[in-house]
Amino acid sequence: MAGAAAAAGTPAVATSATDVPARLPASAPLSDDSRLAVDIRGMVERGDLEDARQQFEGLVVAHQRRALRIAFQYLRDAAEADEAVQDAFVKVFSHIGSYREAWPFEVWFTRILINGCLDRRKARVRRDRWIVPSDDTTTAGGSLSDRRAFAAAANAPSTQADPEARLLARERRARMTAAVERLEGRQRTVFMLCHYGDCTPREVGAMIGLNESTVRVHLFRAARKLRALLGGQP
Amino acid sequence: MIVRTPHLQDEVIFECYYAARRGETLDPPAAEHLADCEGCARRYTDAGAFLNTLSEDAEAEVSALFPPERLRAQQQEISRRLELVGRAARVISFPGRSAAAVAQKPRTPATRLTRWLAVAAAAGLFVGVAAGTAFNFGPRFDVAHDGPRTGANTAARQAINAGRPARLSSAAVAPAVDIDDMFMSDLESVLDRPHTRELIAFDQLTPHLRDVRDFAR
Repeated sequence: MAGAAAAAGTPAVATSATDVPARLPASAPLSDDSRLAVDIRGMVERGDLEDARQQFEGLVVAHQRRALRIAFQYLRDAAEADEAVQDAFVKVFSHIGSYREAWPFEVWFTRILINGCLDRRKARVRRDRWIVPSDDTTTAGGSLSDRRAFAAAANAPSTQADPEARLLARERRARMTAAVERLEGRQRTVFMLCHYGDCTPREVGAMIGLNESTVRVHLFRAARKLRALLGGQP
Repeated sequence: MIVRTPHLQDEVIFECYYAARRGETLDPPAAEHLADCEGCARRYTDAGAFLNTLSEDAEAEVSALFPPERLRAQQQEISRRLELVGRAARVISFPGRSAAAVAQKPRTPATRLTRWLAVAAAAGLFVGVAAGTAFNFGPRFDVAHDGPRTGANTAARQAINAGRPARLSSAAVAPAVDIDDMFMSDLESVLDRPHTRELIAFDQLTPHLRDVRDFAR
């Protein structure tokens, strides 16, 4: 997986999606979500699937928005992000038996989600090889994925009422998207998880199989590069 | 003597921002320096504003793309998919329902007759093509071959030659003469001596190649 992911410009997230991270954190109290996940695991093991499904809906509601934020930043496509999040939740429920409370549920779930997003990005790169760009896209420059991300950011709906402010926000988003896309794969992943996914460097390290200090370095470099690309002013 | 601490590096400023964002306590020396140094405090504020804008824009974008009704629809879709987890796979019949319905429709005598006619026509076509290939009917399939398989062609050729003038017939039966040469020689002889009465006037009006050649000499 690592080679293919590198070819797609994205880092590989450690091994299988449902594996338990190798490094265990210091003993910490279980979060509410982790406790709930352990309960659901028990229900599934007892064969009480109906109750497990009902309890799982709580986890879906709690993590859905954050998951969509991460998936959309990865994929820059609302429909694909929607599917990726759905797939991640279904996969989590299917493999809840392999969840271990050594790590927070959030880390385990995010790791599965990122793996799904990376797979989709790779599949998109493969698809893009067979698409002949039209004239208006060739003049824009960059890869097809970059142009798609740029267009998605430019066309995304806005909540602002003022047309001028809406236009400015749209342009700013497009510039930011292009800048984030220009980050090196690992830097981009770390930045997305820390900044958009609200994960700590320690959690990100567990998700992508890096040392915590290495994650901090990647995060700093990503933020500095973004500032340079955006001229200090986003 | 007052020792002035160096300014904070960018890395430390970003660290402080993320720590504050997560609600963690800042590194005490860095926090102390930020409180004392106006320049570093400004840099910290600028970096925070920049990164906050990134977060706010991303949040606004996702909020616009995924309104509450879409989130609810997604939750329902996830619940629907979760209900299928743990159940045995359903075998989907192929071809689909419409094809199955057509297959179950009662067959009328007219339908049967049409099908028999179609089958008979197809069979007749097949037998005809196979027999034609096996017996190689027609002289045009074996113009260049003089092998033993061409008995039917030889008979047909003799029948053609029988209808020709004597000179042409003798030329045609000669085994060494190719059928193409025969045809060309026939053509030349016909052109040399136009026997068709209606064409004689045209022939006399038309300059001949031999006249032009003789004149040039």
